[in-house]
Amino acid sequence: MSSQLFERVRGIAADILELSPNQITLQSSSENVQTWDSVRHLNLILAFEQEFGLQLDPEEIDQMNNIEGITSILEQKLNHHG
Amino acid sequence: MAIAIQPYSADLIPAVRAFNKRLATGGVAPEFHFPESNIPDWLPKLDGRRIYQEYYLAVDGESVRGGFILKFQDFFLAGKLQPVVYYHLPVSEGIINKAYAGVGVHMLRSALKLRPMLFALGMGGFDRPLPQMLQALGWNLCAVPFYFKANHAAKFLREIAPLRQSESRQLLAGLAAFTGAGWAVMKLVDAVRTARPEPALLVEKIDAFSECDDDLWQQCREHYKLVAARDCQTLNILYPRDKTFLRIRISRRGKPIGWAVMLDSQMRDNKYFGNLRLGSIVDCLALPADASPVMHGATDFLKQRGVDLTISNQSHHAWGSALRSSGFLKARSNFIFAASKALAELLAPFQSTQNQLFMNRGDGDGPVNL
Repeated sequence: MSSQLFERVRGIAADILELSPNQITLQSSSENVQTWDSVRHLNLILAFEQEFGLQLDPEEIDQMNNIEGITSILEQKLNHHG
Repeated sequence: MAIAIQPYSADLIPAVRAFNKRLATGGVAPEFHFPESNIPDWLPKLDGRRIYQEYYLAVDGESVRGGFILKFQDFFLAGKLQPVVYYHLPVSEGIINKAYAGVGVHMLRSALKLRPMLFALGMGGFDRPLPQMLQALGWNLCAVPFYFKANHAAKFLREIAPLRQSESRQLLAGLAAFTGAGWAVMKLVDAVRTARPEPALLVEKIDAFSECDDDLWQQCREHYKLVAARDCQTLNILYPRDKTFLRIRISRRGKPIGWAVMLDSQMRDNKYFGNLRLGSIVDCLALPADASPVMHGATDFLKQRGVDLTISNQSHHAWGSALRSSGFLKARSNFIFAASKALAELLAPFQSTQNQLFMNRGDGDGPVNL
C-alpha cells in the first residue's frame, strides 16, 4: 500500500471527520470514530471521487467503512485507471 | 462479505424480520421498519398498471442490512408523460450499528443507477440525514409550503403542539382560549383573508372519479412544470372507495373545473395535532386560475363537517394563493421535495421553477399520518 496515497486519504478523512490527521490510522473506521456517520460517509466518498477523479460503484462503497478499505479500493481503482 | 442490492423476494422475509428485530432493539420506531412482505399492500405491481411499488433490499450473505422502496408513476414533465420514480423508506442498519454507515449511500447510489429520474418527498425537515445526503449528492431541494386554517380557535390554541413548546407560549395560548381573544384573532384573520366565493359554482360530493376527470387532467397537465398523472384510473387506484377519502367535484355552470380529495380524522394525542378533529386537503386538481374556487369548496366542505383545523401542503404558487384567499395561514414546513440531478435538469432553473411544480400530500407515499 502506497504511503503517499495513505497520506492523501488521511488528510481528506481528517478534514471531513473533524479530527487531526495523526488521529487517523489504517484501523480508523465507522465503528471507532464517533463522527463517522452515514452523512459523513457520503461526504468521504464524494471527496475521494473528486480528489482522485473517479467514480466509486455502489458495491465498492460498503467496503469503504475503514481507512484501510478505502485506501485499498482507491489503490486498485487508480492502478486500473493507470 | 459484500452487500448486494436486490429485489425483495419471499425467501428473504425471515431475514427482514430479523433486521426489524435488530432495529427495534436499537430503539427504531415501528414506522421505520421495513415491510415484512415482499408484495406491497399499497400499490402492488399488477398487470397493466402504470403506478406501482417495488421493494429492494441490501443483502449481506444471509442477513438484510437495509431496504428501500421505489414507487413508479407517470408524470407530465417537459411536454410529455414519462416515469419519474419516488425513492422512499430507505432504512439502513447504519442507524443502529455504525459498521453499516455505508449502506445508506450504497442504496441511494444503487437506486440512482436503476432509475436516474428520482425524487424524494417528506423526510421530516432539511436537517435530517436523508435530505443532507441528497444535498451532498447535488440534488435540488425545496420545502413544500404548509398551510393551516383553524375553525375552532379556542380548541386549536389549546391543542396545537407547536404553540406548546415553551411554558410561556402554553400560558398565552391557554389564556387566549379562556378569554375568547384567540377566537377574535382567528375570526379577524379569516375575515380579512377570505375572499367571497363565486355564486355560479356547484360543489358536489362524489364516490369515485370518472371520465370527466380525464378531460380535466388533459386540460390541466400542461399548466404545471411537473405533475403526477391524475387521470381517472390512477385517481381511483390512489383513492379507492373502500377507504375513508372524501371527494368533491367543483363545477361552474355545469362544467367540471376541479376536484379535491380530503380526509376528516379525529386525532388522539397526536404529537402535532393533539386531540383536534383534523381536516386535510390531501389532493386536488384544476387549472391554476381555478385553484381558488376548488380550495374554497374544499375548505367549506370540511368546515361543514365540523373539523377543528384544516391543513394542506401545496407547492404551486397558485394553490398557495388560493389557500391564503380561503383564510389559511402559512407555517414552517418539514415536507421536503428533492429532485435528483437528472430530474432537476428538466426542471432548470430549479430556484425559479420550484413553485411551479405540483406536489401535495397526494404525492409520495400518500396521506400518511393524517
